[in-house]
Amino acid sequence: MADTSGALREPAQRVSTRAPLVWAAGAVVQGLVLAAVGVAAAIFDWFTVPWWAWVLYVVAVAVYTVVMPVYRYRVHRWETTETAVYTQRGWLSRERRIAPMSRVQTVDHDQSVIDRIFGLASVTVTTASAAGPVKIEGLDQPVALKLVEDLTRRTEAEAGDAT
Amino acid sequence: MSGDLGYDADWRRLDARMLLVHPVNEVIRFLPLLIGLFILGSSDAGDPWHYLGVAVPIAIGLARFATTSFRITGGQIELRRGLLSRSILTAPLDRVRTVELTAKPIHRLLGLAKVEIGTGSASRSSDGRVVLDSLGVGEARRLRIDLLHRGAQAGADVSTGSASGATTADGISTSSMSGTEQVLMRFDPSWVRYAPLTTSGLVIALAALGASTQILGNVIEAGLNASDVDEKVTSLPLALTIPAGVVVFVLVISVLAIAGYLLANWGFLLTRDEFARTFHVRRGLLTTRETSIDVDRLRGVEVHQPLGLRLAGGGRLTAIVTGFKSDADGSAPLVPAAPQAVVEGVGEYVLGEAGPLDVALVAHGPAARRRRYVRALVSTSLLPAVLFVLVGVADWPLWPALVALLAPVAGLGLAKDRYARLGHGLTRDYVVIRWGSLRGRRDALQRTGIIGWNIKQTFFQRRAGLVSLTATTAAGQQSYEILDVPEELAVAFAAEAVPGLVEQFVGPDVEARTSGPRTSSASRRGDGT
Repeated sequence: MADTSGALREPAQRVSTRAPLVWAAGAVVQGLVLAAVGVAAAIFDWFTVPWWAWVLYVVAVAVYTVVMPVYRYRVHRWETTETAVYTQRGWLSRERRIAPMSRVQTVDHDQSVIDRIFGLASVTVTTASAAGPVKIEGLDQPVALKLVEDLTRRTEAEAGDAT
Repeated sequence: MSGDLGYDADWRRLDARMLLVHPVNEVIRFLPLLIGLFILGSSDAGDPWHYLGVAVPIAIGLARFATTSFRITGGQIELRRGLLSRSILTAPLDRVRTVELTAKPIHRLLGLAKVEIGTGSASRSSDGRVVLDSLGVGEARRLRIDLLHRGAQAGADVSTGSASGATTADGISTSSMSGTEQVLMRFDPSWVRYAPLTTSGLVIALAALGASTQILGNVIEAGLNASDVDEKVTSLPLALTIPAGVVVFVLVISVLAIAGYLLANWGFLLTRDEFARTFHVRRGLLTTRETSIDVDRLRGVEVHQPLGLRLAGGGRLTAIVTGFKSDADGSAPLVPAAPQAVVEGVGEYVLGEAGPLDVALVAHGPAARRRRYVRALVSTSLLPAVLFVLVGVADWPLWPALVALLAPVAGLGLAKDRYARLGHGLTRDYVVIRWGSLRGRRDALQRTGIIGWNIKQTFFQRRAGLVSLTATTAAGQQSYEILDVPEELAVAFAAEAVPGLVEQFVGPDVEARTSGPRTSSASRRGDGT
């Protein structure tokens, strides 16, 4: 057990360099939705938002849009080995997930609209536990497809019902 | 499968006595609607709507009976239902994890039981169960034996006598279960003293109170306005009315909790079948419930020790089972609120080793202790702080702020207890986790049942060098968290509990690579690393 002392290292692989763009786009969209409420309020006279609140809001969204994706890009990583899938996600809070290959039940590949615009995809590996899906977002589409192929091939070899 | 199941190859129907149950059930469900119909339409008698309102539910019931059938064939159980839209639900027999028989009072009168068959898919779709509503009790029990004991013992067990004659009006609670069963635990009515101390008792009571206070409040208000009670009450000193109110509140809660406890747990009986392959739990005062837990599907137990119950020397035991319906709390009760000795005795028996319930646990260290105190104090100091500010700013009286100071004091006690209980350990077969104070628990999870680790760090945990290590599993609550463990301890623990998984990721960080260049297929742009 000598080699088990110490902390976990980070997973080896980074996600696509275009992933931050997707996260930034998401942040802008979120910001716009809330702003739309403010605009609607002004138009329909529900309540008035003072100008300085608008300035603060725009600055906050801008900072979030720039800082969050950069930070997130440094955190989001993944790695697969012969026996396990290992991911790290998050931003301020971070979560690492490790799923043994022998317990993998499904390997899903999905692309949202924004993903398709940027040529990205995400791969989700599920186990029999509802708490255990391991998701890798923002992979380059070819990488994602290859990963799905790899994982499917490796999990096919495993027997049993993986519970 | 084996030839013993040959008689199952034909489609079978639900019990004909369901023809009586469905109409009554439907009428009860449509009762508000019916009342509305009859009251609203009372001016012109003989309105056809009245009869339609009664006839439609009954017709639905009849149609459901006529169109539902099931069979066991080729290693599968198939459930066919629907008149216009046919659906066939198929579940492989070797995925059957649990079989539960439920009988409401009306079912018991007629000698029926609803059979719910849990398969492994419960974790992903909420309705992963096959429900047969309902069969005769005798037939239901034989079906259960077929499902749980396929192969070896199936033939020997089917000698339970004639199908319907063996059961009485008492329904499930009269035993006609096969063979010799070993009784592990029998309900003791004196345990009812623990009922008011369980959190579930409190929740039931609070829900009932919440619903009733609004109505009651209106009634009382109306009553007070109409009499001079109001003046009498207000003339009483506050020092008398507040304690009196508390006493009444506690009494009401206790009575409700006791009623709930008895309804759910009366006649609680835990047995193990002669082949030591299945645990049976039987309970219920009006609605009886029989749960069968396949030993192969048992992944551990949870000892529930909410603060009150713990102080009174009691506890509650539930089983962690794969495929058990995850809508409630994903666990099957093994012992209701009962003395700790009973809980530990049963727990030890079910787990097959004493370790998980009395092994000394590893404490989580000073950082975790600090975090308990900080969290308890920050959350409980907010209210008094606000009140003190109001005293200064808005001329509020001082006493509410002083009373509110009790909250942080209680918080200190809570933090102390929470840290004292926080711990984890490892036995030959189980991971043991103890945590919580008000809702204290001690979980024992089979090491082979762990199918992944989640290691979570919030911003503050990262600064404190702590992580929350979560073992994921297909059973029970799906995840079991070890709160605030020092990072290296967590990794070492995960490695020891499930060898060969996390070790490969231990070490210094390697140079990160972008996902692009690793793949051999042409990526669109060579992502510069």
